[in-house]
Amino acid sequence: MLEFTYKAHCDLLGKFKIDTEYDIVTVRQTIRQYAKDMGMGIVDQTRITTAVSELFRNMYNYAGGGEVLIERGEVENHHALIVTCTDQGPGIEDIELAMTDGYTSGQGMGYGLPGAKRLVDRFEIQSKLKEGTTVRMMKWK
Amino acid sequence: MNLHEKRIPIIKIHDYLIVPIQVDMHDKLAIQLQSQILEEIAKTRAKGVLIDISVLEMVDSFIGRMLSGMASMAAIMDTSVVIVGMQPAVAITLVELGLEMPGVDTALNMEKGMEMLERRLNSRKTDSF
Amino acid sequence: MKEILNIKNTKERIDRIEDILASVASGDMDARINSEIEDDFSGIEAAIDLLINDLTDELRQRENMQKELENKLSKIQDQQKTILQQQEDLLELSSPVSKVWDNILILPVIGTLDSQRTQVMMENLLQKIVETGCTISILDITGVPTVDTQVANHLLKTVTAARLLGAECIISGISPAIAQTIVHLGIDLSAIRTKATLQDAMIFAMKQNKRADEVRALGNLALPNEKTD
Ligand SMILES: Nc1ncnc2c1ncn2[C@@H]1O[C@H](COP(=O)(O)OP(=O)(O)OP(=O)(O)O)[C@@H](O)[C@H]1O
Ligand SMILES: [Mg+2]
Repeated sequence: MLEFTYKAHCDLLGKFKIDTEYDIVTVRQTIRQYAKDMGMGIVDQTRITTAVSELFRNMYNYAGGGEVLIERGEVENHHALIVTCTDQGPGIEDIELAMTDGYTSGQGMGYGLPGAKRLVDRFEIQSKLKEGTTVRMMKWK
Repeated sequence: MNLHEKRIPIIKIHDYLIVPIQVDMHDKLAIQLQSQILEEIAKTRAKGVLIDISVLEMVDSFIGRMLSGMASMAAIMDTSVVIVGMQPAVAITLVELGLEMPGVDTALNMEKGMEMLERRLNSRKTDSF
Repeated sequence: MKEILNIKNTKERIDRIEDILASVASGDMDARINSEIEDDFSGIEAAIDLLINDLTDELRQRENMQKELENKLSKIQDQQKTILQQQEDLLELSSPVSKVWDNILILPVIGTLDSQRTQVMMENLLQKIVETGCTISILDITGVPTVDTQVANHLLKTVTAARLLGAECIISGISPAIAQTIVHLGIDLSAIRTKATLQDAMIFAMKQNKRADEVRALGNLALPNEKTD
């Protein structure tokens, strides 16, 4: 349903569902392993793992869960790890607001989305009310 | 891997509680740990808590919030919390995420953390004279 | 009722005190009153001698510390010279972090900083802090001509990350040009401890060390009484 700016030739690494709190942990660990396998340094591994953890929790909290697509590809002359999170939740009314440091509609601290964006090299978010939200992040090797 | 059954030990030594977090915590486990520590403080009347996170490879906003919340709650109960042994990669990531955890005491290792608690305790005792 | 004070040779003895104090003030730390008379005034003479003793000890200690500091500093300066000579190579390598003193790390940064180099440097420094257990580190940017927003932010981030580890990071040697840039860019460095020179930073770091030792010693002394309350 969504068009992304960064088109890439990708290999699919894995597809996972986030339904429970345990899934948040296991899938972020899986992503760390992919990052490690690609040869990312320890800090970048930690960055991408933390960023995806934020997105997974958002899907779990606000959309009752969602799906994660992990790919590897060449983007703008970089080896990239690409993580796409899709949910069929309520959507985000004001994306700009949601991307603001400190904004939360619930009990969070409101650093999830803007923080995740700072931790990766490319970050795109699209959302439609009542249809869902998709976030795609890329981290260069 | 059985995530459902992990439990984090709380060890009491003298006036202190030591909590070595050795698993990648899911949210429920983090919340459970928080109340477990608070209960243990009340029960043992511990004067300080050292939370050792040296093996944690990631602290996201949820765990970060749990840790700083832990420190504030313990403070209300007149107990100091020191977060010990954060890895450099974790610290960098937390700062970039935007979680600078102001007001949370940190120490490089257990020994330094213990020293910090002792200092706290002593200055508090002299205050009360 | 008036008490009669028993003081012998008042005039000469006051003169002697004045002489001795003058000698001490002019740097003769061996001068003492050493009065042999025992009367109501001898207590004061003895007290003055004691004070001169204390003062002498204090000065000696300061001198020693100063000497040690100068030695270390000249070592660092030599180090920095070598580093300057190897600047070209250095830009390729990561920056050297050295432990110059018990509990103190110094990272002298020389040359232009770009975002990537700053990042590598920051990671090295934090890693070294954890490895050595040093709680104070000094990031000396005397040798850095300018910084941009990104680099300034990385520096800021380093200090905050160090705090999360349980260590303090001081930035020294901020040049007028860099100070101007930082303020113009609207970057808030107020939460960060900055010192004019590497020397100032070293003195500050050593004082912190000393204070920590004192508190520790105090704590040990206080412990036996603790149990009573
Ligand atoms: N997948 C999603 N579906 C619907 N709304 C979302 C989704 N993700 C984020 N939001 C909305 O955007 C807001 C900001 O999200 P963000 O992750 O930045 O902060 P938070 O989750 O509220 O707090 P934190 O992540 O710091 O615990 C959320 O409060 C929520 O209203
Ligand atoms: Mg969130």
